[in-house]
Amino acid sequence: MLQINNITKTFGNYRALNDVTLHVSQGKVFGLLGPNGAGKSTLIRIINHIIRPDSGQLIFQGHPMTDADVMQIGYLPEERGLYKKMKVGEQAIYLARLKGLDKATAEKRLHDWFDRLEIDNWWNRKVEELSKGMQQKVQFVVTVLHEPQLLIFDEPFSGFDPVNADILKREILRLKAQGTTIIFSTHNMPSAEELCDDIALINHSEVVLSGPLADIKAQYPGQDLDRIFINTVTGNQSNYQK
Amino acid sequence: MNKILLVIQREYLTRVKKPSFWVLTLVVPILIAAIYAIPIVLASRPLEHSNVLVVDDSGLFKGQFVSGRDITYFDAGSIDYAKRQLETVDSLDAIVYIPARETTLPSDAYLYYRTDAPSVTVQSDVNNQLQKILRNVILLDVHGITPEDYALITSTSIKLRTQDIETGRAGFLQIKLIIGALLAILVFMAVFMFGSQVMRGVMEEKTSRIVEVIVCSVKPFQLMMGKVVGIGLVGLTQFALWVLLSGVALGGLRFTNADLFEQVESRHVTEISTKGTEATSQYQAAQYQAAQYEAGMGVDNEIQDLIEGLSSINFGLILLLFVFYFIFGYLLYASLFAAAGSLVDNETDSQQFTLPMTIPLILSILLMPAMVNEPSGTISTWLSIIPFTSPVSMLFRIPFGVPIWQVVLSMVLLLLTFPLCIWAAAKIYRTAILRYGQKFTWGDLFRIFKGRSGC
Repeated sequence: MLQINNITKTFGNYRALNDVTLHVSQGKVFGLLGPNGAGKSTLIRIINHIIRPDSGQLIFQGHPMTDADVMQIGYLPEERGLYKKMKVGEQAIYLARLKGLDKATAEKRLHDWFDRLEIDNWWNRKVEELSKGMQQKVQFVVTVLHEPQLLIFDEPFSGFDPVNADILKREILRLKAQGTTIIFSTHNMPSAEELCDDIALINHSEVVLSGPLADIKAQYPGQDLDRIFINTVTGNQSNYQK
Repeated sequence: MNKILLVIQREYLTRVKKPSFWVLTLVVPILIAAIYAIPIVLASRPLEHSNVLVVDDSGLFKGQFVSGRDITYFDAGSIDYAKRQLETVDSLDAIVYIPARETTLPSDAYLYYRTDAPSVTVQSDVNNQLQKILRNVILLDVHGITPEDYALITSTSIKLRTQDIETGRAGFLQIKLIIGALLAILVFMAVFMFGSQVMRGVMEEKTSRIVEVIVCSVKPFQLMMGKVVGIGLVGLTQFALWVLLSGVALGGLRFTNADLFEQVESRHVTEISTKGTEATSQYQAAQYQAAQYEAGMGVDNEIQDLIEGLSSINFGLILLLFVFYFIFGYLLYASLFAAAGSLVDNETDSQQFTLPMTIPLILSILLMPAMVNEPSGTISTWLSIIPFTSPVSMLFRIPFGVPIWQVVLSMVLLLLTFPLCIWAAAKIYRTAILRYGQKFTWGDLFRIFKGRSGC
């Protein structure tokens, strides 16, 4: 689905990504893990063509990724944002049209989604009238509305209460079942363990661990993902024994 | 559908749908109509007729007060009698009382009234007549000049008329000055107003972080230009509506109050012409002219001049150039405002960038007095050619007539400069819009252009 080959990116004197190579398989949930400032967000921005890498290549569906391919991505950034003064429905349609949907399709799909998430009565409300969690729900719908082949969620559960987090999890799994490939960036190891098929751990701008979740867990018997994460990042198991 | 069109559409519609847009759109034509209508309504209002008693103990004013259309003066014997009359007779409005003289000339006079203060018209008429009578007394007694001679002397007014010897047209420099200044200030305000709307829009997208999602769908350049163009169209819409609605308001006013307008507009003219025919001898004409001058009716001549002056100005050309300089001046500055908006997280921080970049614009307003002095002088010429000041300064000069090569040069330079500004702004914008929480300095801007921006 997506092949990330030897991506390097430098900001001034700071190397944000160093020779990162990853493979995201079709129809799988790919966990992009790592501590703050490891380079996850930079990598996601490069995949979205928001910034250009200094070197390296992205292969999307077997061909070098173009700007047109970005339209096949749905991206939910960690820093959420919507136009506060715009009405929910109007805004969602605008964002969907920017992704290439026509107005009628966008409207129909939006009503389907809003019905399913039981938020259809928000349609004519301004975004600023919604709570933060409600805004995130709207943004989630906007992200998936154009039915992208690749979804990128950056900390999708932050800010959600357990009930809504569960609804979201259910929808993510439903999208996966429909064949959508998902990149899932998080610090939250239990949810990564629950959802991911493959994972990659990025630390200090480099991939330090990657592969199918099951294989990795087999390498570290008796440890949960949290422990594996901490041990790998600190590079010293003994300091972090319970 | 082209995405930049979608962005333009959103920027345009969200602003045009706001109540504040319509409030501003309606307030301006209403103001213009009011400015036009209020003097006419006031002038057409039937004036109340006032009756004033004159009690003169000085012996200089008796029989000298001249009754007019609105005020009738009656001589009364004693002040006590007059006061009793004022208390009992309803149709009397006031008493002018001039006490007996202690010196050669009286220094004080009194205006008595009952309950309601006399109108300003009465007060000023009494005052004028007092001055005039006293002046005539001094002229005649001290200098031996009769009031008739005095009228002749003061009627010799000479008017300085400016004229272009090539076209033979009159100059009407004052009218041109007013029109030029209006045009310049209008463009200045429009560029500032809509430019800062662009900046606020960019900041809104940056601080709300929605820009992160949008730049996955459209290029930062498209987003920036969509915003600039969308808001520019809002500006043009507003201007068009102002012109249209002002026309409708004025037209409607004339139509619904046709009698009133005709009456007021013809009043002065008939008064002048009837009096003019009566004035058979040269002496009478001179006297009339003097009277007219004193009564401030010289205004009619000025209105005549105004109409003539206005018709000497090429409004088609002015409108064309106004639209040109507004559009390109706006594009130039709006792109810079967009760049400034992308550099900061709140409006207070934005000043370090907006202030230096708007200095040329402010300078072109501040230097207007110098341009008034010499509309074709060195300062005026340079300001109207340099692209950053030309949108304001050239419009100021246009009514005075500008050599065609200067207009063309100014327009070409502006057309060459605005893409450069947009290019530079886009470069800054693309880099800065995704850097949250970073305080940019001018040094950072320099690095962006050296290409070590990281994007």
